[in-house]
Amino acid sequence: MIEAQGVSLQYTDGTMALKDVDLGVEPGEMVYITGPSGSGKTSLLKLFMGMEYPTSGKLNVLGQPIVKGQATNIRRLRMSIGPVFQEFKLIKGRTAIENVMLGMRFLGISASQLKENANNALVKVGLGHKIFSLVDNLSWGECQRVAIARAVARKPVLILADEPTGNLDLKNALNILELLTSFKDHKTAVIITTHATHLIDDKEDIKLIQVDKGNVCWERLGRA
Amino acid sequence: MFAGKGWDEHKMKNIFYNTGYFLKEVKTMIQLNLLSNIFSLFSTGLIFFILAMVISGWWVSSQVVEVIQGEAEMSVYFDESIDDTEVLQLVKKLESIEGVREARVVDEDEAYGRMVEILGKEARVLEFFDDNPFSSFIEVKIHLEKIEPILEKLEMMTGIEHVRDNGEVLERLRSIAEILRFIGYLVVAAVGISTLVITSHIIRQGIYNNRDQINTLRLLGAPESFIAFPFILEGLLLTLGGGMLASAMTAVTLKQVYTQMVGPLPFIPLPPREALISNMTLLITMMSGILGIVGSMLGLSSAKSN
Repeated sequence: MIEAQGVSLQYTDGTMALKDVDLGVEPGEMVYITGPSGSGKTSLLKLFMGMEYPTSGKLNVLGQPIVKGQATNIRRLRMSIGPVFQEFKLIKGRTAIENVMLGMRFLGISASQLKENANNALVKVGLGHKIFSLVDNLSWGECQRVAIARAVARKPVLILADEPTGNLDLKNALNILELLTSFKDHKTAVIITTHATHLIDDKEDIKLIQVDKGNVCWERLGRA
Repeated sequence: MFAGKGWDEHKMKNIFYNTGYFLKEVKTMIQLNLLSNIFSLFSTGLIFFILAMVISGWWVSSQVVEVIQGEAEMSVYFDESIDDTEVLQLVKKLESIEGVREARVVDEDEAYGRMVEILGKEARVLEFFDDNPFSSFIEVKIHLEKIEPILEKLEMMTGIEHVRDNGEVLERLRSIAEILRFIGYLVVAAVGISTLVITSHIIRQGIYNNRDQINTLRLLGAPESFIAFPFILEGLLLTLGGGMLASAMTAVTLKQVYTQMVGPLPFIPLPPREALISNMTLLITMMSGILGIVGSMLGLSSAKSN
């Protein structure tokens, strides 16, 4: 599903975000990427999304090489990904359900199915009572849950979530992790970045990747 | 994975399933920039109105000239000493000249009758003459463009006293029609460029206002056609609105102009008013639609390159 070999990423200002990263992700795998702020977690997700290109090394996501000059193919690849951005990227002036539906409108789904999927996803993240609220009027944590609903409603084969529990209280954070974990049953790979390791202490069947200063320090399976 | 499915099929489905969404997006985009959009609609409407007026003038004058040209004729006065047989021979000679459509003798009585018809109530002045003051002549209907060689040939023929023609008047009308046609081309070019500039500017502004939404859609994998469609629709609706405004103003103005012209100037052969109005409406609608789409695409591509 994801195959990275010797991947490095250097930004145009000279910052070395990732150095010689090797990793693989299989279908149905639950992967947590942990590490302190600025360690390279978000940069890794940006590479998987095709928002950045490796400076060196080889990266394949769902069979698509992440290289320059493949803009249209990378756009198609993104249709199969459910992204949760750290800053949410919700559309202001629209309701929660409109935001969730917008993420599916170009996937060739009929209008009624679109509404049903969006509604179900919002109920799952605990926002069934606020589907018609403007996102401008929602709290930070509620916006985060709308962003998660938008990602999962698309029924993606790969979920990339950047700090999806960062602004949630413990109960909601655990609910969200449970929801994201449930996608394993559908052979969807879920990659989550987090620095809240206490939330995953008791998780089983997961892959943990520790990143620091752009390097993958260690990678292990099983209980954290 | 969706990438594996037919891309074009997806695009079609997207547009079909999202018609309501696209219209709502257009409404939101117009509301976001309401004043600017209203001004654009009115300026486009005024530009198209000017275009419609110039094209109407051009069309009417061309039609008038065409009708009058069809009636181009000259009166050939012959020597009164020649007899009827010689007059008939002269008619045959005239008919054989290239550019002459028809030649026939108009005798004194017919010439008198025609003048009575032209003068109307004033025809009583003719009663002061003891005898018929008109002489017979040969009426020669010609193709206007051949007037010069015909006149040259007439000069060389014997038995002709003098020739009267309306060529000068017809030439002037033709040159007026040519000038109107030239102005028409200039106005069409000016209208085209102005509409493209206005529409593309509005679209660029819309793209700038919605840049966050566009970036998010790109990150979610939305195809460019899906992102661009509401902007093209906005440009199309704005120019079509301007076109409709121009069509309404044109219809009202043409009705007024016809009312003013048909009564006092009944001899001007104007084309039917309804035909003129419906042709203008069709032309303006088509032009506004095409220019709206092209302008939106220009706006999109310039915003993209920036």
